[in-house]
Amino acid sequence: MVSAPSPAPGGQSVTATEAPGRAAPPLPVKMVVAGGFGVGKTTAVGAISEIRPLTTEAAITEVAAGVDDLSHTPHKTTTTVAMDFGCLTIDDGLKLYLFGTPGQERFGFMWDDLVQGALGGLVIVDTRRLDDCYAAVDYFEHRGIPFAVAVNAFDGHVEHTLDEVRWALDVAESVPVITFDARERGSVRDALLVVLDVALTRAGG
Amino acid sequence: MGAGDEPVDRAPAVRPFLVTAGRVAGADADPGATPPMPVETQLVATAAGLERLDLMSFERHDIVAACRRPQSVAEIAAILRLHLNVVRVLAEDLAAGGHLSVYVPSADIARDVSVLRRVIDGLRTIPGSRGTVRDSD
Repeated sequence: MVSAPSPAPGGQSVTATEAPGRAAPPLPVKMVVAGGFGVGKTTAVGAISEIRPLTTEAAITEVAAGVDDLSHTPHKTTTTVAMDFGCLTIDDGLKLYLFGTPGQERFGFMWDDLVQGALGGLVIVDTRRLDDCYAAVDYFEHRGIPFAVAVNAFDGHVEHTLDEVRWALDVAESVPVITFDARERGSVRDALLVVLDVALTRAGG
Repeated sequence: MGAGDEPVDRAPAVRPFLVTAGRVAGADADPGATPPMPVETQLVATAAGLERLDLMSFERHDIVAACRRPQSVAEIAAILRLHLNVVRVLAEDLAAGGHLSVYVPSADIARDVSVLRRVIDGLRTIPGSRGTVRDSD
């Protein structure tokens, strides 16, 4: 495996049999945008990405905490889902990747393959289909990944107040619940900044 | 001619992991194994890799050629329409052969205050309407 944990200057470890003589790549960081189908994940990624969102397939582990499972051992199966992503040059040496990942399934998903090392997560919510985001909220909470809940105001208004959403999702007080517009670059930027603020506080900054 | 029994109108489907000779990485690999290289891991062709480009076949050729400029594992998978784990395995092979440099971000980067500050500062420079986000508090 290439990802030897040897820390190197610049936050990356390099594997090659020769010194990299070519352009040094930026340090890559990522954030995850999660939420149900059609909630605006790809719209949000595309609104702020400097490239048109690309699609690839990610392997996710489906944990079926089934009622008929008497062994108390979660049954896991690996599923492949389409994942849209974009990126953004932060400065000369830093590039932010944004990965949109589905989370509407009724069973819990484990996005370990995708989420390891993520700065934070933005869970996008459609107030008409609140239960679509439970899996993502559970996942980020369980893994201790900084996140915020963002209600996508599709047509300028939301059907429930943010307090109602917070109550329904039962998230900790430290988890911001905001509204945003996935189509607006500045709005997506601000939503990501809210997540990063949580991450910074968590990191002791 | 020949056996002639195989239907000729249908190209055989190449299963995704054939190109890696059956090896897998990521979520399909042993649960106890080292975590897979993150999807944002940067891949850069080495000078040696580009020199020997003509000698490489198929996916290996395409990956090295696409990495003349730094690319993430996810970008390579998307651009070349390969499964993420296929890219991971081939990237390891190519790195072992000296054809590719693989830059794996350190695992604790998400808790690096200076990195977080840089991302925040960088995002703040992005123009856009203000005041569209409000906290519930």
